[in-house]
Amino acid sequence: MSLAVGSGRGTGGRVVEVVTIYVVCGMAALVFSGLIVEAVGSDWTDVGKALLNGSVLKPGRWGGTIGVTIPLAMVAIGTIISTKANLVNIGQEGQLLVGAATATYVGSRISAPGPIVVVLILLAGVLGGALWSGIAGGLRYWRKVPEVLTTLLLVAVASNLVGYGLKNPWLLLDPEAKLGNRNMVSRQLPLDTRMPRITLWGNEISISAFLAVALILLVGWMLSRTIWGFRLTVVGQNRRVATRFGISESAHGMIAMFASGGFAGLAGAFMLTGGDFANYRLVPGFSVNIGWVGLLVALVANNRAMAVIPMAFVFASLRTGSGFLASTGIERRVTDVVQGLIVLALLLPPAIMFIRERRRALASARSRV
Amino acid sequence: MGPPAAICARLLSKSYGAVAACDAVDIELHSGEIHGILGENGAGKSTLMKMLIGLVVPDSGTILVDGSPVQISDPVVAASLGIGMVHQHFSLVEALSVWENVALGDSGRLDRTAVRGAVGEMGERYGLHVDPDARVADLPVGLRQRVEILKCLRREPAILIFDEPTSVLTPEESDELFGSLRNVVEQEGRSVALVSHKLTEMLGVTDRVTIMRNGRVVERCLTAETDAGALARAMVGRDVRLRSGSRPSARASAEESPSTDTRPAPVLEFRGVTVAESRGFVELEDLSLVLRAGEILGVAGVEGNGQRVIADLLSGLRSQTSGDVLVSGEVIDVGRLGATIRAGVAVIPEDRHDSGIVLGMTVAENLMLADPAAIADRGVIDRAAMGEMARGLIERFAIMCTGPNAPMWTLSGGNQQRVVLAREITASPKVLVAAQPTRGLDVGAIEYMTDQLRQVASTGVGILLISSELDEILELADRIVVLYRGEMTGEMSRSEATREKIGRLMGGDLT
Repeated sequence: MSLAVGSGRGTGGRVVEVVTIYVVCGMAALVFSGLIVEAVGSDWTDVGKALLNGSVLKPGRWGGTIGVTIPLAMVAIGTIISTKANLVNIGQEGQLLVGAATATYVGSRISAPGPIVVVLILLAGVLGGALWSGIAGGLRYWRKVPEVLTTLLLVAVASNLVGYGLKNPWLLLDPEAKLGNRNMVSRQLPLDTRMPRITLWGNEISISAFLAVALILLVGWMLSRTIWGFRLTVVGQNRRVATRFGISESAHGMIAMFASGGFAGLAGAFMLTGGDFANYRLVPGFSVNIGWVGLLVALVANNRAMAVIPMAFVFASLRTGSGFLASTGIERRVTDVVQGLIVLALLLPPAIMFIRERRRALASARSRV
Repeated sequence: MGPPAAICARLLSKSYGAVAACDAVDIELHSGEIHGILGENGAGKSTLMKMLIGLVVPDSGTILVDGSPVQISDPVVAASLGIGMVHQHFSLVEALSVWENVALGDSGRLDRTAVRGAVGEMGERYGLHVDPDARVADLPVGLRQRVEILKCLRREPAILIFDEPTSVLTPEESDELFGSLRNVVEQEGRSVALVSHKLTEMLGVTDRVTIMRNGRVVERCLTAETDAGALARAMVGRDVRLRSGSRPSARASAEESPSTDTRPAPVLEFRGVTVAESRGFVELEDLSLVLRAGEILGVAGVEGNGQRVIADLLSGLRSQTSGDVLVSGEVIDVGRLGATIRAGVAVIPEDRHDSGIVLGMTVAENLMLADPAAIADRGVIDRAAMGEMARGLIERFAIMCTGPNAPMWTLSGGNQQRVVLAREITASPKVLVAAQPTRGLDVGAIEYMTDQLRQVASTGVGILLISSELDEILELADRIVVLYRGEMTGEMSRSEATREKIGRLMGGDLT
């Protein structure tokens, strides 16, 4: 909370300044990325082109990018809910994996009409993720175990647990797969239990995209316009005030924790039934860092629900664009560096603004001496 | 203008957004003088002092120390120029001992013997005795403040600023403090600035007074040439009733009319309430009291003698170990979430930042806390109704802010307190707990709060007034109970109460 911000100057000038700082930071991130690319012996224009081609420009590519955007956005919106309650859930990667596993289990066991199974798969994903974050939430409110630790540690438990499931046919392993390390896969979802895909201008997208947008709008509205969202904010900002006014800290905190894990689990279910990941099967390492990157999306979206969609799309573009990097002869890992630089570029401007305001005040004070 | 100025500020200005906290303020502090800076909350006293100590950088204006212009960009620079400040909220490390705290900020090797010696020697010289080996956490507030002062004095400051130093002290502790300040000023020629809104302190302690209002200096005078009425007028900008002048007549006559045969029903009752901490320390022991509708029951006592526990109980933040709390004749389980608020207990807490307001939320949101359902339809907040409700209360309680959507942290302390008052009163409670309701408020705001409390009582609300300020209790309360170490040491009606009697009971003297 800097009181210094907004001292004396017109708001117009300030807007220009803020925009300029964001642009400068963004450019700096690009220039650094370019320098790194040049340093490893590649041409940055080629790399830039490849990224853009791979993510949006080439036919059919932006559909794939949207496919990655969906789970990222789901993880991020869930993170925003827990952050609102002042809870630090950083175990989305594990919650997503557990959600995907429960979704897989339901999808491969239940025989019912396709659409019903799809709904059940999604619900199972939500439940799985919520269960996983619920463990951390329960420990937090039952025994005051910091959720930062438990959510993180449960990621490792989740990946081992799912690995175990994928080795046992009575759990997740496809009974027809040959035994052995390379065959830890689940049965592929039958055609009628997959999320329908539609074609728009030559791009295939899963209809879960629309569901995702609706959910984001719903969460944004609930947080800002309902009593529930109001109470959650009070709990997050001053729990003694919350207690005094009869707002249960543990009840709201648990709901936030369940919701946050539930969204991560839903992301896993969307990945499973959507078709943009792992070909409708659960495989080891299924979560492919979507949980971690989703956390970054929530961070740069600065906990505003509406900012989640564009931010998730940017991060998804880097991932899908990196698929085209092979042709430029550069490691696709370079996109991780670019991703880090972008995060910095988006997080730095508020800090820079603060420093500039203080400097300005000091300088004007000094000039008078 | 007498002796040369130790520090001199010329045309200092500082604005936060559109609000000018300090507007072209001139001030001179002289060596060998205690200079009082008087003003209401939000008058700009604190901002001015923060600029002198380097916590706030002025927008314009100059500061001269010993006649030469200086740039005070942070407290380290201020310290090197010989300016020290004792803050209202202490900056002590509770886990460390007194001498360790005094040594904090030193560089180089820590010389235990020297620091301990200095603590003892300074204690002797200024009458600020503290055991150098005591742990700060074990010390009462008055002694903690001594540590803070010693810490400051050891740096041998030429200019010493005190920000509201007596707000946490008992009357005796305040007297001792001012005695030592006199020593510091007269024997060593230091300059002391005393920031306060208490008129009696200004008159009794200072040599010279500067009065601020709305960020400007409205008057400068020599203490010897002024009186309480003049100071109050200058501070508030109009005539005010002073607390000491108002109490006898109205109260006494009200009590003489014997309406006791038709006494109103009790709205709040404590029956043998005991609260013990988990380690077994008893914070409240076997307390029984009755509060009737329309009555103001004063709970007197030096702070830390169980008052806070009473407020916490009635806020639903703690629960009792044994005994019963009854509201309107019904036993309520105060530990159950929301039980007290449902029963109709409103609370103006002692520390509003702790349990009264949410600083990061807006004024409107803070106002709707008590009853969000009132401005919502099936759980959905009606923005228009919320804004309307907030604007209504802002107007009715004259809350100074930029509007319903102003973040709470942008309001001054007095206005934050008005938000709390507005919310709690409009919740139409049966019982209103007012814990130190005028702490840190200036005369104008105290007058306002006092009037409001009286008015609320006249509508049949029972008010439990918890206060460590005797004047406040004597002015407002119909009956008075006194707490000492968690036990009630006395109960009396207003007409039986005298300052001396209560003072003795507050100190645990039951003879």
